[in-house]
Amino acid sequence: MIKDIINDLSSGNLSPEDYVRRSFERIERVEGRVRAFITLRKEEEVLNDVKASLRGKGKLSGVLIAIKDNISTNGIRTTCASKMLEDYVPPYDATVIRRLKEEGAVILGKTNMDEFAMGSTTETSYFGPTRNPWDLTRTPGGSSGGSASAIAAGFVEIALGSDTGGSIRTPASFTSIFGLKPSYGTVSRYGLVAYANSLEQIGPMARNGEDLALLFSIIAGPDDRDATTIDYAPQGGAINIPVKGVRVGILTDLLEASDKAVSSTITGFVDKMVSEGAIAEETKLGLVDYVLPTYYIIAMSEASSNLARYDGVRYGYNSLVEGNWREVYSKNRGEGFGREVKRRILLGSFILSAGYYEQFYIKALKVRRLIRNSVEKLFSKYDILVSPTTPVLPPRIGEVIDDPIKMYAMDVGTVTANLAGVPALSMPAGFYNGLPVGVQLMGRYLSDNFLMGVAIFMEKALGHKGDLANP
Amino acid sequence: MKVSVDEELVRKLESLALISLSPEERREIVKDLSRILDFFNKIDEINLEDVEPMFHPLSQGRLRKDQPRDPLPRDEAIKNAKKKKDGYIIGPSTTGG
Repeated sequence: MIKDIINDLSSGNLSPEDYVRRSFERIERVEGRVRAFITLRKEEEVLNDVKASLRGKGKLSGVLIAIKDNISTNGIRTTCASKMLEDYVPPYDATVIRRLKEEGAVILGKTNMDEFAMGSTTETSYFGPTRNPWDLTRTPGGSSGGSASAIAAGFVEIALGSDTGGSIRTPASFTSIFGLKPSYGTVSRYGLVAYANSLEQIGPMARNGEDLALLFSIIAGPDDRDATTIDYAPQGGAINIPVKGVRVGILTDLLEASDKAVSSTITGFVDKMVSEGAIAEETKLGLVDYVLPTYYIIAMSEASSNLARYDGVRYGYNSLVEGNWREVYSKNRGEGFGREVKRRILLGSFILSAGYYEQFYIKALKVRRLIRNSVEKLFSKYDILVSPTTPVLPPRIGEVIDDPIKMYAMDVGTVTANLAGVPALSMPAGFYNGLPVGVQLMGRYLSDNFLMGVAIFMEKALGHKGDLANP
Repeated sequence: MKVSVDEELVRKLESLALISLSPEERREIVKDLSRILDFFNKIDEINLEDVEPMFHPLSQGRLRKDQPRDPLPRDEAIKNAKKKKDGYIIGPSTTGG
């Protein structure tokens, strides 16, 4: 737990040298197999930063953190796992990074991800896949798979990810850790490399609920540099909230869409909630056949617009060919982007083109409203909606990557929270044949702290210990 | 509505998106696009009469005063450009094409 690390560091029970060495020792031992990082900082630099940070009195003084590589870090390259940004070094910090530094956190490294966060398995990375520390033949999920694996493998206790359609929750689920997709507008996106603005949020990932809440309390809050942040600042993190009397809606349509291994584990979690006094009732999310096409139409449209900025001239991959601007840009983009990114930009361009804009884009936005309305209606009856985070166990490396529809289907449980803007977290529900299964708790808008409070309670009720994987 | 995807359509998209594909990538993407658009057509089943599109989860944004703030020094701001000269970025020719 972060508070133990801080206590040990400040009381002298743990020297900065031992603390940093412990992390690097694990990295030296297993990172070659896991490959959680794209850029790992030098031990000496990290140690110097930890020592300097311990002179201050921040909420995270001296604590190591891993950062997804689509969050801008001043002076540390930020690649988005793309050839396009392979050597891009931001000249500024994202707002969340500034806030973390103000509280004394020290960046250990930048973590692997799907290229531009487009993927659900961390396999579309230009730098190769990250592997699941619980089973190296399997993916850790994505797109924040590097951050999740860095926690599961014991390199760090906390990390930042970003979640556009499940990119924090899916890897959290597959690696037996906690991850929150915050309410839209609570965390500044300034310095987050944009993929789909209206859907995504930066969010915390941690080994336990308490650290998750602490990290969220530090990164959340209004920011003049992001016009879509709202006036909301959680104070001091979440507390333990007993589930007695909490009204829980069990989303049976998402349970039915899941493999037996997953649904049986989730049912066990729900039974535990009920035995602790929750009032559970079966209900349906509704529109479940439509959430994925709706989500992907919107995400690809926004992506094609956002990724128009990469021309290779001001920054990014430059093929150094001579020619007019169309030829140069097309070549830079053709060579700099990977397959999934090109697929999504081209589809987005198609959807937004004359003649198809109404048929696909506007229609999807209308379905989005219906989905949001339906979620709001459910929250007039329930405090929490429970479902599997993903419908499947972690797939094997290579199992879904060549079939886009199969890969997109993994997001059926997660995209709704992004479409509606509401918070959702994934927490460990248990293991099935040695593989982690995550449960998703979705709540009404701005109930982030309530969700985390319930997660903290359930973590204790389940006796979850946050064991490290030993790859 | 079924959309027929062929190499000609993909070439048009390459030109719209300013991405040039290799012939092999093009053949692959013809296949993918067809399947993904079929998957998207699913939303045609829903009755959307009188439903307003929802572009964004928030109804309004936070605006700051339209005043300049401390900018990055020029050298810092252009340090990631591959081709530059005397504090300027060298871009490709904008005539033709």
